[in-house]
Amino acid sequence: MKPFQYATALSPAGARELAGEDGAYLAGGNDLLALMKEYLVEPRILVNIKSLPGLNRVKPGAKVWTLGAGVTVAELEDHEGVKKVFPGLQQAAAEVGSRQIRNVATLGGNLAQHSRCWYYRHRDILCLKRGGDTCYARHGENKYHSLFTGNTCISPVVSNLSVALTALEATVLVQRGDEQKRMTLKELYARAWDNPTAHNSLEPGDLILAVEIPVRGGSSAYLQASEKSAFDWALVSCAVAGRVKGGTITGARIVLGAVSPMPYEAAAANDSLEGKSLDAETAARAADLVLARAHAQAQNGYKIPIARALIQRSLLQLKAQS
Amino acid sequence: MPGWPEKRVYIGSHTRRIDAPAKVTGAAKYTSDVQPEGWLYGMILRSKWAKAKITKIDLDKALKLPGIKAAVLAREGERTVRYYGEELAAVAGSTKQACLDALRAIEVEATELPFVVREDEAMGDSAPRVWEDSPNAAAPHVNEKGEVDKAFAECATVVEGSFSTPVQIHHPLETHGNTVSWADDGITCWASTQGITSVAEGLADNLNVPQSRIRVLSEFMGGGFGSKFGPGVEGGLAARLSRQAKAPVKLMLTRFDQSLAVGNRPSSFQKIKLGATADGILRAFELESYGTAGIGAGGSTAGGGGGAGFPAPYIYTVPNIRVKQSSVAVNAGSARAFRAPGHPPASFGMESIMDDLAVKLGMDPVEIRLKNDPSEVRRKEYRLAAERFGWKEKYKTPGSSPGPVKTGVGCAGATWGGGGRGTQAEAQINPDGSIEIRCGTQDLGTGTKTLIALIGADMLGLKPEQILVRIGDTRYPPSGGSGGSTTAASVSPAIHNVCTRALEELQKQTGIADARGENWMAACKKLGLNPLVVHGAWQEGLSSSGAGGVQFAEVEVDTDTGFVKVRKITCVQDGGLIVSQLTAESQVHGGILMGIGYALYEERIMDRQTGFVLNPNFETYKLAGLADAPEIDLVLLDMPERGVIGIGEPVTIPTAGAIANAVANAIGVRVGSLPITPQKVLAALGKDKLTTA
Repeated sequence: MKPFQYATALSPAGARELAGEDGAYLAGGNDLLALMKEYLVEPRILVNIKSLPGLNRVKPGAKVWTLGAGVTVAELEDHEGVKKVFPGLQQAAAEVGSRQIRNVATLGGNLAQHSRCWYYRHRDILCLKRGGDTCYARHGENKYHSLFTGNTCISPVVSNLSVALTALEATVLVQRGDEQKRMTLKELYARAWDNPTAHNSLEPGDLILAVEIPVRGGSSAYLQASEKSAFDWALVSCAVAGRVKGGTITGARIVLGAVSPMPYEAAAANDSLEGKSLDAETAARAADLVLARAHAQAQNGYKIPIARALIQRSLLQLKAQS
Repeated sequence: MPGWPEKRVYIGSHTRRIDAPAKVTGAAKYTSDVQPEGWLYGMILRSKWAKAKITKIDLDKALKLPGIKAAVLAREGERTVRYYGEELAAVAGSTKQACLDALRAIEVEATELPFVVREDEAMGDSAPRVWEDSPNAAAPHVNEKGEVDKAFAECATVVEGSFSTPVQIHHPLETHGNTVSWADDGITCWASTQGITSVAEGLADNLNVPQSRIRVLSEFMGGGFGSKFGPGVEGGLAARLSRQAKAPVKLMLTRFDQSLAVGNRPSSFQKIKLGATADGILRAFELESYGTAGIGAGGSTAGGGGGAGFPAPYIYTVPNIRVKQSSVAVNAGSARAFRAPGHPPASFGMESIMDDLAVKLGMDPVEIRLKNDPSEVRRKEYRLAAERFGWKEKYKTPGSSPGPVKTGVGCAGATWGGGGRGTQAEAQINPDGSIEIRCGTQDLGTGTKTLIALIGADMLGLKPEQILVRIGDTRYPPSGGSGGSTTAASVSPAIHNVCTRALEELQKQTGIADARGENWMAACKKLGLNPLVVHGAWQEGLSSSGAGGVQFAEVEVDTDTGFVKVRKITCVQDGGLIVSQLTAESQVHGGILMGIGYALYEERIMDRQTGFVLNPNFETYKLAGLADAPEIDLVLLDMPERGVIGIGEPVTIPTAGAIANAVANAIGVRVGSLPITPQKVLAALGKDKLTTA
């Protein structure tokens, strides 16, 4: 680990100023400290953001809920209101890491975490994502990798919360320079789709302040498949949201995680459900549309049937919840 | 020599570990907790190449860094490293960070050489050689008896299958390591080890110091599973760093290091053919297999763990057999003995093909085992386990359970030798009635200390807490390494003997006819000023070897996602006279959990492009956790007449075979490769074909 300075910020603008272009923000530290120990990132300064006012607040609202970026994943998991209004988000939070991790991991950190690709994370491998010239996963061990990507890197986004929040059409409030900027979840990850070295679209010094979720009056659900029963990454995750009335769905959103560098959705699949009766058949049709452009690598083709199953199950769960 | 006491109060009881409070409060000091005055951190620089010629290693810059007190080479002069992670040099410093910085400051000149890390590729004629002087694939070991081809031709039914098992890493929760203090009067080594005596021998040999000048201590240690018998390269390096720095050096490996260089279970790729009569009697067996024990299987086996062979046809007796097994070297860390070496892969392959045979014959899998298993004890265990498990009600035609989430059941058997002898011990009885039993064994976490206290208590009519047990010090009478499930069978008779002799001597010296129990204090008082010290040793007739066990598994398989959940394991195990019931049960739980890991999660993944281990951490080298633990129903057959028998190893052997059979029973097709991941389940079901690649 490279020596670094440490400071505590008391306002977003102050945090931004302290961090400069080569600092990093410290909240839960789960990802950041591991990255530093492996020399994957070498910030000049760590800016403690745990004292920023309002950063750890869940603020319910009739039209919009505002979740501070410093809210822990465990708080989202345990929050009765979140469970009631955004069940898919609560279910996604409950699947993050272990309880010990969730107790310190924050919403902002979960969204901003780096790739877990085992080539990217390996101390002695300089892969494409780290600025090298080869995506080793393409020719190597890729059972955990992407089915969709817009570039050569096939490491997928692993943030559970990003998947649920995309389905919920949330926006992210970011401190960029002197301004506060709103980004959709899609915008937050768009750069990772195109650029192999990007994990998200944040610029150096950008600070996630909050996530805003519109209340759309429907329901949401999240499911993931892993190799182990708990404390394991998703092989595939799926979040759905929409309004189901009398068995008919409107405003459906189906989003997959762990299969693409950004939360993945297909407009055609969402559109196919509009105004339709939600049943095994329409759910299967939607799943086919989501997966129509899936491109399997040598070892990850099994993610396709898993994704199909999760889409169908989460849609039917959505119906059962409604 | 009298046998075990007829009246047993503590032996076989559910008395808790005598060191439980120390362990849960943190008072117990493990090697990683030891902090002798002035100690330094030690760290190892490892090869970043799967194979390379090392021409120069320059330690100067590292030595000049602040906080760095010593730096040594693992080996002088030019050398060839043969796997990613092989030791190159080591540093000692006052902080962890200083050591990390120093490792990065060491300059290594190397020429990369071609390497091979996959078993199938290493077998090829044109593959790069791991050892220049010999081919990667060693000459196969062949065992043939009877007339195999003729017997197969006469069989009513023949089944064939391919099975594979991964390289599994020991990963004890306490990593390998030592704290070594090399002073003028000798060496003191706190070791995380399964053999304090073998560590002393290893250090004496490595450092050219008389063994009498070396003291090894290991009062508490956090698991080894067969990989912690010697000081290791890391122990020798810690000692040399200590001599150079003139300070104690603590060199504990990291989890990363642990994945590369301190042992593993060899892989296996097995092709099996099995033939039987129409009523299911085994007649012919053929097996061809290969696997890798890392670099250890090639020209040199120095420091290696032998080959990748295993017993076949395992627990069954087949009149006509042909077995051909070979080991193939790859550029990866050497295998070491691993909890029941050879047996889990043997059990998995053989028990899988047994179930395939039963299915083809339309026979019940338990029935076919009762017909063919030569062990009377195991046949009894199958009947008892089937009854407790509800086998008759649960066993259904393969794949017939309704819905996408299917249930299935399976079973498998195991054998283990064990035994153990040679332990010595001494007892010191003080005039104030206190007693100390000293024995140069070590407690891997299995409960050896508790076992000594329970035996001492019953032999002397005392309570376990009255007996101070001292172990884990080479100044105590020697016992030997704790491996092969031999500790209980080796230590228990020595404690019996030393207590018997101490009691006799106490009674003789004091004239009290029976000094046990309520007479104890009075007798001790009569000793006068000097404590009584008595020596004892292992005796024939109090322990034995040979432990059979069976396990039954019930699983749920989600045929849409390929996810396997183990619902229940029933285990019936023979362990002779059970000395410490609670710690024996704990061994069974641990063995089953490790077996579940082997069945479903664990696998060392090598990258063929770089030759690196890709999962040197618990994030992607997956161990079974509590959420993965099933309901465990266990019975330890009570057979006190057989004496003490160790059970640490047999209880992990049949788990994977039983689970694999339960998965096959659930989904109606065989997944022949461990670990049974969602990927493999979906492939076996033909669902993986929906890819567009």
